[in-house]
Amino acid sequence: MTKEEGKGPTEEEQQAQSKKGLKKQQKEAEKAAKKAEKQAKLAAEQQSTEEDDFAKDRYGVSAMVQSQQKLDRALVRVQDLNPEKADQLIWLRARVHTSRAKGKQCFLVLRQQQFNVQALVAVGDRASKQMVKFAANITKESIVDVEALVRKVEQKIESCSQQDVELHIERIFVISQAEPRLPLQLEDAVRPDGEGEEEGRATVNQDTKLDNRVIDLRTTTSQAIFRLQSGVCQLFRDTLTKKGFVEIQTPKIISAASEGGANVFTVSYFKTSAYLAQSPQLYKQMCICADFDKVFCVGPVFRAEDSNTHRHLTEFVGLDIEMAFNYHYHEVIDSITDTMVQIFKGLRDNFQTEIQTVNKQFPSEPFKFLEPTLRLEYTEALAMLHEAGVEMGDEDDLSTPNEKLLGRLVKEKYDTDFYVLDKYPLAVRPFYTMPDPSNPKYSNSYDMFMRGEEILSGAQRVHDAQLLTERAMHHQIDLEKIKAYIDSFRYGAPPHGGGGIGLERVCMLYLGLHNVRQTSMFPRDPKRLTP
Amino acid sequence: MPMYQVKPIGGGPIKTDLPTCMYKLPNVHAQPGNSCTSEHALQNGEVDPAVKALEARQDEIMRKLYELKAAVEGLAKTVTTPDADLDLTVSSSLSSQSLSSTTFKGAVTDLDTLLGKDLGALRDIVINANPAQPPLSLMVLHSLLCQRYRVLSTVHVHSSVTGVLPQLLSCLGPRHADSYARHMFQLGFTLIWKDVPKLQMKFSVQNMCPIEGEANVARFLFKLLAPYPSDPALATLVDSWVDTAFFQLAEGSAKERSAVLRALNSALGRNPWLAGPDLSLADIACYCCVLQSGSASSAPTNVQRWIKSCENLGHFSPAKLLLQ
Repeated sequence: MTKEEGKGPTEEEQQAQSKKGLKKQQKEAEKAAKKAEKQAKLAAEQQSTEEDDFAKDRYGVSAMVQSQQKLDRALVRVQDLNPEKADQLIWLRARVHTSRAKGKQCFLVLRQQQFNVQALVAVGDRASKQMVKFAANITKESIVDVEALVRKVEQKIESCSQQDVELHIERIFVISQAEPRLPLQLEDAVRPDGEGEEEGRATVNQDTKLDNRVIDLRTTTSQAIFRLQSGVCQLFRDTLTKKGFVEIQTPKIISAASEGGANVFTVSYFKTSAYLAQSPQLYKQMCICADFDKVFCVGPVFRAEDSNTHRHLTEFVGLDIEMAFNYHYHEVIDSITDTMVQIFKGLRDNFQTEIQTVNKQFPSEPFKFLEPTLRLEYTEALAMLHEAGVEMGDEDDLSTPNEKLLGRLVKEKYDTDFYVLDKYPLAVRPFYTMPDPSNPKYSNSYDMFMRGEEILSGAQRVHDAQLLTERAMHHQIDLEKIKAYIDSFRYGAPPHGGGGIGLERVCMLYLGLHNVRQTSMFPRDPKRLTP
Repeated sequence: MPMYQVKPIGGGPIKTDLPTCMYKLPNVHAQPGNSCTSEHALQNGEVDPAVKALEARQDEIMRKLYELKAAVEGLAKTVTTPDADLDLTVSSSLSSQSLSSTTFKGAVTDLDTLLGKDLGALRDIVINANPAQPPLSLMVLHSLLCQRYRVLSTVHVHSSVTGVLPQLLSCLGPRHADSYARHMFQLGFTLIWKDVPKLQMKFSVQNMCPIEGEANVARFLFKLLAPYPSDPALATLVDSWVDTAFFQLAEGSAKERSAVLRALNSALGRNPWLAGPDLSLADIACYCCVLQSGSASSAPTNVQRWIKSCENLGHFSPAKLLLQ
């Protein structure tokens, strides 16, 4: 019984095995058949391609542009494509954003910066089957020249920026081909956080984006961010020039650390070493002493701080202001805040599309501000924090969480994302800060905040060599090291004050983004030196 | 044959530095009218002290006359105004005692008891108002507050509105000379022109919810000036007039408005002021709403008389300025 019992399963096994083998064989046969079929198909297709193609010279990969000829061909911008251009035959150069073949048609989305338009190649009297196939096989992100007929569409094309027209392609030539494998997909890079997770779609993490910045910068969001950033710079320059400021250039390689001495990069300088400027402060002040009255400068600033936070960079663009005033340093505050308000107004009025584009990926509340800017005093801020249950000393500096909390409290009461905090305790400010005339505990210094984060720190500077010496000694600073600085005030110096703003931070906070690396084109931080 | 004209060689009076140890004497050679620009002026532009004294006396007499005129005008106003108080504008020219007698004689109100403990920082009242509907009554209360306390008044424009009229920006008067030091003030009055459906007031974010509606904010501000009448009937009367003003005069139909004006007329026939013997919030609210609705000129006689009395009190002028 046991034998039989033992035999039974083996027979069954054998049977099963043979069954499996059969199946396998069958499958292989099927596979082979499929392969043959495919090959036959391919051959047939090849044959058909070799058959005469009536549209042969209407598509192709054009020779590398080496400036062989200068065509007088007028190229139309994608953003100018509107129903007014309907039924015109136009030329256009753009990137292939996506392509989708569908039987005898191929839909392409052509992109130019943040604008895109739908285009169509369909088998007909202008395009052959082969041409459609060629169009479908153009890799994403390739640059193409296209001749096409502009057509109005019945239904709005929701997925494109040009919603009222589409292009019927008559000729298509590849100018520059992209590699078929992209390191990141543009659609993934602009997908809002969280949305991808739900639908199981990919989002691209920050480092991948930054490693492949060239592609990441092509996204609509990046395009909008850096257009807005350019706007900030432009508005900053225009507003200050109108106010009678002079733009100056300051050296970035300096012999001694301008502030304290920590946080500076050392570079070798022939036989000795030098430092990278961590602020143009000293030079701004020297220009004031040289009677330039009001100056500003836009340039790189270096900080050797090993802090890996969302808002610190080791190199950023500083927008610096310094001006002489008549009697009260509030003249300086008024000038700076008015400049900021003009920038905010300019952005609000002229960059609405950019702001909306960024909001699509990174939703945030619109930036609110008051004119004239709200100015609070440090003691008031402390009282507000105290009321909210924060215990801190009168002469303590605001910690980052307290700063944020204060920002929320101010927003709650005054509904503004931008305000000035005046009269900081003297103890928490640098030695060159002018003390308050009525209370030695405080100083004539101020910080400005956007969405609860500090963007500018400034003060009335001590313009008297003797007082400056005293203050430096009080801070136990080696007088020899700052001799040149103190000396510049010995030959008559007007009372003056100023401050510096980080361009990247302003952009980040205006748009309500959460990482300063998003608003720095090629960011530098302790862990990133490339690209 | 005429002679040549030759230019003077010397070129006018020669100035010499004289030693200061000697007396100064008038120039005997100078021709009258040449070196003296006016008849009673002496050498070196010095005016005869006698003339100077005379001028000073005249100025003094003129000044006194103007003061007297202002005082008489003020008294005339108080005669026509039922409240025995003096106008803001004449108070300065009269004795200082009138300064201390403000419109409201209630118990001296203390900010600490009203607004909570002083934390050593400015107590800032923030009012969000729509520029399409300027809150007239709050302007009146603001000028009363300024009389009582050291008030830091600031006006801002919120980014949600554009193109605010210049008179709205200057509605709280000129900038205070000490406005650079916020800690020197007892009270902050921050007016923000903003796109809000309803007027809104914020004081302490932690302990207080925002107050909405001009009537309610007016009640809050009025309590900083004087306590509500202790007589509950009178207090209710004040409240009911305030509501009538804002709901029926300011927002009501033409029919409602004329009904309110009739009611005002009969009430003012019995009393000089709307609620009780003294000026109250009821008068301020009704006056501003009558003004805003544009029915001041067509109002019945008692109302007309009452409007005059209100206007005789200086605090009402900011409201009128804002309407222009």
